Amino acid sequence: MFALIAWRNLRQGGRRTALLGVALAAVTGLLVLLMSLSDGVNDSMIRGATSLAAGHVNVAGFYKATPDEGFPMITETGEVKAVAREAVDGLATVIDRHRGWSRVVSDASSIWAALYGVEIAQEVRLRETLRPAKLASYVEDLDGLDGEAREGDIDGLAEPDTAMLFATQAKRLGVRVGDALTIRTETLRGQSNTVDVRVVAVMDDLGLMSNWSIFLPKRTILDLYGLDDDTTGAVMLYLDDIDRAPQVMEALRAAYAEAGFDVMEHDPRPFFAKFQTVSGQDWTGQKIDITTWTDEVSFLVWVIAAIDSVSALLITILTIIIAVGIMNALWIAVRERTTEIGTLRAIGMSRRRVLAMFLTEALMLGLFGTLVGAVGGALLAAGLDALSIPIPSQAVQAILMNDRLHLVVEPTEVVGVVVGFTIICGLSAIWPAARAARMPPITAIHITE
Amino acid sequence: MKPIVELLDVVKEFPLGKVTVRALRGVSLTIGRGEFVAIAGPSGSGKTTLLNQVGCVDTPTRGTVRIDGQSTSDLSESDLTKLRLHKLGFIFQTFNLVPVLDLAQNVELPLLLKGGLTRAERERRVRTIIDQVGLTDQLGQRPNELSGGQRQRVAIARALVTGPSIVLADEPTANLDSATGEQILDLMEALNRDEGTTFIFSTHDDKVMAHARRLVSLVDGEIAEDRVTQGAAA
Repeated sequence: MFALIAWRNLRQGGRRTALLGVALAAVTGLLVLLMSLSDGVNDSMIRGATSLAAGHVNVAGFYKATPDEGFPMITETGEVKAVAREAVDGLATVIDRHRGWSRVVSDASSIWAALYGVEIAQEVRLRETLRPAKLASYVEDLDGLDGEAREGDIDGLAEPDTAMLFATQAKRLGVRVGDALTIRTETLRGQSNTVDVRVVAVMDDLGLMSNWSIFLPKRTILDLYGLDDDTTGAVMLYLDDIDRAPQVMEALRAAYAEAGFDVMEHDPRPFFAKFQTVSGQDWTGQKIDITTWTDEVSFLVWVIAAIDSVSALLITILTIIIAVGIMNALWIAVRERTTEIGTLRAIGMSRRRVLAMFLTEALMLGLFGTLVGAVGGALLAAGLDALSIPIPSQAVQAILMNDRLHLVVEPTEVVGVVVGFTIICGLSAIWPAARAARMPPITAIHITE
Repeated sequence: MKPIVELLDVVKEFPLGKVTVRALRGVSLTIGRGEFVAIAGPSGSGKTTLLNQVGCVDTPTRGTVRIDGQSTSDLSESDLTKLRLHKLGFIFQTFNLVPVLDLAQNVELPLLLKGGLTRAERERRVRTIIDQVGLTDQLGQRPNELSGGQRQRVAIARALVTGPSIVLADEPTANLDSATGEQILDLMEALNRDEGTTFIFSTHDDKVMAHARRLVSLVDGEIAEDRVTQGAAA
């Protein structure tokens, strides 16, 4: 009955209730959309990072011939892989990639790029994630070409002296599939070396990371740097459950130490940010560095943090407005219903029950408004994701780490938003509800002479 | 007759700006169980203030109010609420029904507050009392769909449904036409006679006073007259 009184009073509130409900629904819907966008960027980042730059857990390290200079490589790749396979449960795949940094030169232009030396047959994720880009996305003068055509094949990397790059890079270099590039770098002995490669595939961009990543066959990298076959840049471990990455990292640290490897202290930064630290240390030889995928893309976490901060700021402001709105609406309701409150108090309703009745009213409004908003926001987010809308601006693509609008609706977060906003509504109502509860029946029923 | 209401030298003062208004000036009054008492007097004489003291919705500045032997000044706010719920029923001049509840729900409300009854028992009691006030055909109607007389009957049913010892009615016919007012007073009298409930009502209408079996007249916050009336003989 008390819930019924609350519900009917809400309906009685008419336009006031409707306006507050719509405002609540709109804010909740907006929050769900922003969270879906943030989760979408996070998802794109995980997909991009774990396809392009890192495994779920990475066993890499530095080799130092002299104390002053470290190279991002590990020797004894076979043994490193064997220890990992022995130590880790729930291991899906193990691959290894060479890493390098070089000038990439075309007939028209040149860029700096991170090189990844791969055995394409092993690279299941890379092949699943990437797809050839439309010519229109990187060829400026189509001149009779079909802009919708997608040229090249990632499996072309099985051939020696080939390269796969991304649309933005191809556009900057002015190349397409079949064109030649020159890769110029410095070997471990400090000599300059070059190799000519043929572009076998130009793929769709995959966020910020695809701006500087170029893939070559492993053999080409080994030859370019003059390395032994048993060396590599990083052994990348893919797990059945990505959330176990931190535990697996810790287990591997112990396993490698036990196997006699010298293991570096955990440093949650990508490998390229550690050169200066390593070069400043007084040791030579090989050290193993174990990181998770989040460490390797920590330089990108600012994007998610920025989206979350903007969302938080926006939602905080809107929440304050809503809370003030609810408080105000209940103040008005308490004033309008002074006689009713007094009557209820006179006929024996306790203060606690009056408080509960007004809180129920606010909670009902909160639950109804946020539920509608959350479901609406989730449906809109899912719909936008299904439409896979292309993002025209490369800058926005880089920030969102995707060439298409990608949103991910997390049901637990949606439930959290509904519960959270409903609680905020309840908290906003405490003051006016307490005022109603404290109202003496004599004041409320106006029966003083 | 065993007293159910006792007022001993009750004084009630209200601050009004810089002055203090004395609404009750040392009122002493004893009302027995089952009485049908009218508190009469002109506007400002202290009738409603007196009812407020008896109804435990206000506390006296000085003096003692005892309900069924229990001094109200010894009770906490929570105990006073329980006392109102269990021993008192209220009928207001402006009916004061909960507008969003229908007739039956308004009557059921005090039973829900009291607790301890099954839904079936509550429904049975509500039906019985609504039958008694003659509103069976209007069960599902909301207050705004009822006439003034019907609303006051609902208020009477709500006041009586918990079986209180005392029903307080503040000018119960003031907002009704005289014919309807008569019907309401007849109903109150019948309930007083049949159920033995003590009725204390305020009025300044001579016709209403004529129904009372005891008339307490207030003038300027003091009892000017306290007498048994012809209504007692009727």
